[in-house]
Amino acid sequence: MAEAASGSTDKSVQVKLVLLGEAAVGKSSVVLRFVSNEFQANKEPTIGAAFLTQKCRLEDHVLRYEIWDTAGQERFHSLAPMYYRNAQAAVVVYDVTKASSLEKAKSWVKELQRQANPNIVIALAGNKVDLVQSSSSSAHPASSSESEDEADDATATPGETPASSGGEPEGLRQVPREEAQAYATEAGLLFFETSAKTGEGIVELFTEIAKKIPIGTILASARGSAGRAGANGGRAGTGQEGVNLDENAAKPKDACNC
Amino acid sequence: MSTISTALRNFKEPTKEQLTQNFFSLSGAVFSDASAEKSQEIEKMDINAVLSLGVEGVEDSYAGKLYLMPPCLTFTSLDRKSVRFTLPLCTVRRVERLNARAGIYALSLSSWHGMKIIVQLTSLRPTADLFCSLLRDALKVELQRGRMKAVKGFVKTCYSEVLVSSPAPENEREDGSLMTTEEKDAATANESAYHGGLGLRFKFPGDAKKLREASKIKLWTTYLKAHGRNLTLLRYPQCTRLVQVGLPNRLRGEMWEVLSGSIYLRFASPGYYEQLLVENKGRSSTSTEDIEKDLHRSLPEYAGYQSDEGISALRRVLQAYSFKNPELGYCQAMNILAAAILIYMSEEQTFWLLEVLCDRLLPGYYAPSMHGTLLDQRVFESLVQRCLPIIHDHFQTVDVQLSVASLPWFLSLFINSMPMIFAFRIVDCFFCMGPKVLFQVGSVSILKINGEKLLQIQDDGGFLNHMREYFASLGESAHPNSTDPRARAITNFQELLLVSFREFSVITDEMIQGERKRFRSEIIHSIESFSKRSSIRNLRTLERFTKDQAGLIYDALYKAMCIVPPPPVVLPPPSLLNTNDGTEEKPETRIGLRTFQYFLSEVATWARDEKIVMNGFQQRIDREVAEHEFIDRLFFFWDVSCRGALSFQDLVSGLDGVMFNDLMENIEWFFNLHDKNKDGFLTKDEVLTLSESFLFIFRYEIGDAYLGAVSRFMTNAFEYGDALLPREEGSNDSEPLPSPTIASNLPYLNLATFRMVVLADEILESFFETDLSASFRLEPLPEMELPVSSSGILGDLWSTIATDSNKRMFNMFTDEIGKAVGKHQVVHRPSIGRYTKLEEPKARESLLTPAMRRSMSQGNLSGKAKEDEIKAAASSSSLTVDAVMQPSKDAISAPPSSTIYSPIPKPLIQASTLAFMERTPFAIDDAKDEDDESEDEVDGEDNDDQVLDEVDAFLEAHDSGLTDADKELAKDLRTAEPVK
Repeated sequence: MAEAASGSTDKSVQVKLVLLGEAAVGKSSVVLRFVSNEFQANKEPTIGAAFLTQKCRLEDHVLRYEIWDTAGQERFHSLAPMYYRNAQAAVVVYDVTKASSLEKAKSWVKELQRQANPNIVIALAGNKVDLVQSSSSSAHPASSSESEDEADDATATPGETPASSGGEPEGLRQVPREEAQAYATEAGLLFFETSAKTGEGIVELFTEIAKKIPIGTILASARGSAGRAGANGGRAGTGQEGVNLDENAAKPKDACNC
Repeated sequence: MSTISTALRNFKEPTKEQLTQNFFSLSGAVFSDASAEKSQEIEKMDINAVLSLGVEGVEDSYAGKLYLMPPCLTFTSLDRKSVRFTLPLCTVRRVERLNARAGIYALSLSSWHGMKIIVQLTSLRPTADLFCSLLRDALKVELQRGRMKAVKGFVKTCYSEVLVSSPAPENEREDGSLMTTEEKDAATANESAYHGGLGLRFKFPGDAKKLREASKIKLWTTYLKAHGRNLTLLRYPQCTRLVQVGLPNRLRGEMWEVLSGSIYLRFASPGYYEQLLVENKGRSSTSTEDIEKDLHRSLPEYAGYQSDEGISALRRVLQAYSFKNPELGYCQAMNILAAAILIYMSEEQTFWLLEVLCDRLLPGYYAPSMHGTLLDQRVFESLVQRCLPIIHDHFQTVDVQLSVASLPWFLSLFINSMPMIFAFRIVDCFFCMGPKVLFQVGSVSILKINGEKLLQIQDDGGFLNHMREYFASLGESAHPNSTDPRARAITNFQELLLVSFREFSVITDEMIQGERKRFRSEIIHSIESFSKRSSIRNLRTLERFTKDQAGLIYDALYKAMCIVPPPPVVLPPPSLLNTNDGTEEKPETRIGLRTFQYFLSEVATWARDEKIVMNGFQQRIDREVAEHEFIDRLFFFWDVSCRGALSFQDLVSGLDGVMFNDLMENIEWFFNLHDKNKDGFLTKDEVLTLSESFLFIFRYEIGDAYLGAVSRFMTNAFEYGDALLPREEGSNDSEPLPSPTIASNLPYLNLATFRMVVLADEILESFFETDLSASFRLEPLPEMELPVSSSGILGDLWSTIATDSNKRMFNMFTDEIGKAVGKHQVVHRPSIGRYTKLEEPKARESLLTPAMRRSMSQGNLSGKAKEDEIKAAASSSSLTVDAVMQPSKDAISAPPSSTIYSPIPKPLIQASTLAFMERTPFAIDDAKDEDDESEDEVDGEDNDDQVLDEVDAFLEAHDSGLTDADKELAKDLRTAEPVK
C-alpha cells in the first residue's frame, strides 16, 4: 500500500497536505503511521520539514497525498508559510496530555484560515490518546512509569505529567474530548483523537480529509492545465522565490478556488 | 500573545578587525578576557613577513603577513589559504633575533612543542623594531598573567600529545575507540588525561578499515610532529589536504577544536563550563523544557544515545549553552549538532564548539527569529542563480523553492541529511575552511552533479525525493560503468568533494559576506512584517479597530521600541499568574513608561511638542516627546493587569477605550482616569490634577480661550463641589458656611457633578465631544530605515540617527542664518487647533512672550530641558557619526555588480553550465604518488598510498609568493645564529 517514491501520477489526484502543531506532539509519528504503518519511539525532531507521499483509495479515485511534515518549535514558525502555501489540506495536531498544545493548535488554525489557501480542509487531531485510555487489553493496569513508556514518543516527560496520574490513565488527560470537539465544530474543522502508537484514528483521519477534498474541481483543473497534476495546476509561472514570508506577495490562486 | 523583537535592527556588520579575527578562528571572547585583566588595551599590529619552518626541507617558505593580536600571534600567507597559524603568545617559549646578512631582520620563535619557526620581517627597519618591542611587551603581559604555566596542564587534555609521544595505546581498537572499560588500570590514566567523546566507549560510526584509519593516523602523526599540534598547530597545505580526505576518528574531536578555534576559548576559560552547570543547577526555562523533549530524539540510532551516559552528557551541554546564551536558548537542530559532536568530543569541548558555531560560524542560524538561516538561504539561492542559471531558471518555472531541501542541510550541517560518515567529512572541511564550504559543497556542487535529473523535476516533492536518493547513494561508485578500475573506485561522495573544491572554489568567504550584506535588509523586512502580522493575529481582541488600524498601532509601538528598547522579555512570577482561563502564560513583550511616552507621542497630538520653525529658507516641524504626569497616569490606567508594563494588547484596548467615545463616554473616561482609587469621587487634589491635565493638553492652543475655559472649570468645580458638600447638622440653608472644610484627599466631586461642570462650558464640551477622540490619530509612519549594509561600527539604528543628526546640523545652520537675517520664527503647533483663526490673529507673538512661557506647566518646562539635552547630544554625536559615514558612503556608491560581486568570470559560468551534460574526467589517476613514507608496514603501504592519492587529488598549486632568491635567503636563515 505504501508507495513513498514519486511513482507515476497518472489518474491519481495529488493533494498537498501539511502537518502543523506544537513541538513533540507527534506530527511525524502520525505521518509515519499513515505512510508506512510503523511507529518509532524516538523520532528525531523535524528540521525544516520532511516530505512523504502516500496513496489513498477513495471510491473511484486514487488520492496521492503529498505530506509536508513541519518542525514544531516556535522559532521555526516563520518558515511554515513556505510549506503551507498551496496546501489543500492541513492536519493540526495537539497532544491530549498537554493543554497548552491545544492553544498552539488554535493559533495555527487561525493562521491557516487567514493566510492559507481559502478552501483548505483543516483537521484537528488530538494525538497520544493511547496515554489516556485504560488499556483493557493490557494485563496489568498502567502505572505512571509505564504510561510514560507507552508515550507516543518518548517526549512525554515526567515533568509534564500531573501529579494525580496515580493509577488512573484518564488523569493524564488535559484536554477533554468534548472541549476539543466543541472547538472543532465551532471553527469548522474535522476532528479526531488519534494514537500514532496504536494506529487508532489515523486512517480515518486521512480518509475523512480525502472525502472533503473537492476532487471534482481538482480533476477539472488538471484536465485544463497542460499535463500537470491538479495540485500544481495554478502554480507554474508564479515568480516567487526564496523563503517567502510576506503575505502581500501575490499568492498563487489554486485553480480549485473557483 | 507573542514577543516583539527589535533585535534585528541592532545588527552590526563585522568590522575589518573582526573579520581578521574570524579568519584566524578567534572569537571576540578570547580578546575580552585578555584585555579585562590588563587595564589598558594591548596594542595590535601587523607586518609583512616571510615564514619558514626551522627544519630543513620540510616545507617551503611563504610570504605573508604576521599579526600581533594579543593574546595571539597569527600569520597568513599572501593567498590567505596556503599557510596560516594562530599561536597563543603563551606557547611561545623563546624569541631570538637572528644574526643574518645586513639588512635582513629575522626572528626565530620556539614554540612550546619545540618547533622552531623563522619569520623574516620584510618591512622597513623602524617598523620591524616597533613590532618587536610590541611583541616583547605582549609576551611580558602573558607571562604576568601566568598563562605560560597553564599551557603544560592544558596540552595534556589533547589527544595529539598521546599520539605523538608514543605508539598508539594498546587498549584501542582499530577505529580508535577503547577496547574495554573494565580493564582500565592503564586506560584510566589515559582517559582522564585527554578529552574524548562518547565514541571512545560506544565506538565511532563507520568501518575503520574502510575509512583507512590507521593510515590517516600515521600521516597525521608525522604532520603533527613536524608542524606543532593543538595550541601550536601550523596549517600548511598538507594539513588542509589531510582534512579533506577525512579526519581519523581519534583525532577528529581535537582537530575540530583546533581548526574552529574553540580550543582557544576552552584554554582561555578553564573550569567555566563546570561552573556554569553548578551555578545554574536545577534551573528550568523554556529552553530546558524544549531540550528535554529532544534528548531522546538526537541520533537515537547511535548506541551512546541509548544509554543514560550519552543522554545526560547531551542534556548538560545543551543546558549549559542555553544558560550561557539565554537570548538564543535552544533551537532544534542544535541537539543534532551537539549529539554528533559529543561522539568525538568531551562535554567541555562540545560546549565551546557550540559557542563558536552559534556565535561565529553560523551567525543567527539558531536565533529566535532564525534570521541567519533565512539570510543564508537567500544567499544560497543567489549563488545558485549565478553559478547554475539553468537549474535556477527551471526551479523558477516549476515554482520549486530551493530551501525546502537546503534549509536542513545548513541548519544541521548535513548530519541528518547524509549518512553520518559523509556528513562528518563535510563538517571536517567546514571547520577547516569555514562556512563557505556549506555553500560550495552543499549547495552548488550537489545541485550541479544532479543537474540533469533536477531539470526533470516538476515539484518540491520530486526535488526532495531525488535529493534523498542521491544522499543515500553517496557511498556508491560515481562511474560504475567505467572501464578504468580507478575511476570505478571513485564514490559519489569523493566526486562531490572534488567538484566542490575544484570548480566552486570561486565561492569565497568575501563573496558570501558581500551577498549577506546585499540581502540582509530584505530578510529583516520580511521577518518583521511576518512578526507584525502574527502579533496582530494573536491579539485576544482587535476591539473596535480594523486590522489595518491595529497595524498602525503596532508600527507606533515598534518605532517606540526601537528608540527606547523595553526590558528583556521575562515570564511574570507565578504568583501573579492567576489568569482565569487557566491557559499557560507565554512570554510577552511589554513596554515600560519611557517607551510608552514615545509610543503615545506617535499617536496623540498632545503627547508631543511640535514646533514649526521658519527661518526664511525652509519651514519644518521639530517634534519632541512630551513628558507630563498625565501621560504617566494614562500608562497606569491602561496597565489593567498591574504589571508596571504594557503589552500590545493593553495598548490596543486602551486606545479603544478613548478613540470611539461620544461626549458622555469621554467625560466619564476622563473622570475615571483621574479617580485614582476608583471610588467614584475625585478628591480636591484630584480636581487640581485634572485641571493640570487640561492645561497640559491645551498648552499650545492659540489664544486665551482654553486658559479661560480651564479657569472657569476650576471655579465652577469648587463652587459646585462645595455646594454639594454634606452640611453640618443644624446649619440652615440661608446661612451657607463661609468655608466648607474638607481635607484635600477625601471624596469630593462625583461624576455627575463633574459632567455638569464640564457641560457648562462650551469649549470643554466640544473638547469632550470630538477633540479628545480626534487627538488620537493613527497615521501611517514613514518607513523606518532598515539596517543599511554600509554602516560600519555603529550599526543600523545609528545610521538613522546619523541622518537625523545630519538633518539637525543643517537645520541649526539654516536657523542661524535665519536669525541673522531676522526671519527665524518658532511656533508651537497646537494639539487641537480649533481656534486658530477665531480669536488670536497675532498668536505667534503671544506664544513667545515670557508670560506665556511661565504659565506653562512644570512638566513642560522639564520637557524643554530634556529637549536641549537631546539636542546637545545629537550635535556632539553628529561629528563622530559624520566621520564614520564618509567611507561607508563611498562603499555604497561603488557599483556592486561589477566590482564586488563578480568573482566568477563569465567563461566559468558557461563552463559550469556546459558541464551539466559532460562530467569532466578526474585527474585522480594522474596525481603523483608521494612516496615519502619510510615505514615498512606491509599492508599499510597500499592503504597509505590510497589515502595519499586522495590527498593529492586535492592538491592545488600553492604560490608561496617568493622568488627563488627569497627562498634561498629563507633557507639560509634556518642555520643562522642568534644575535648575542
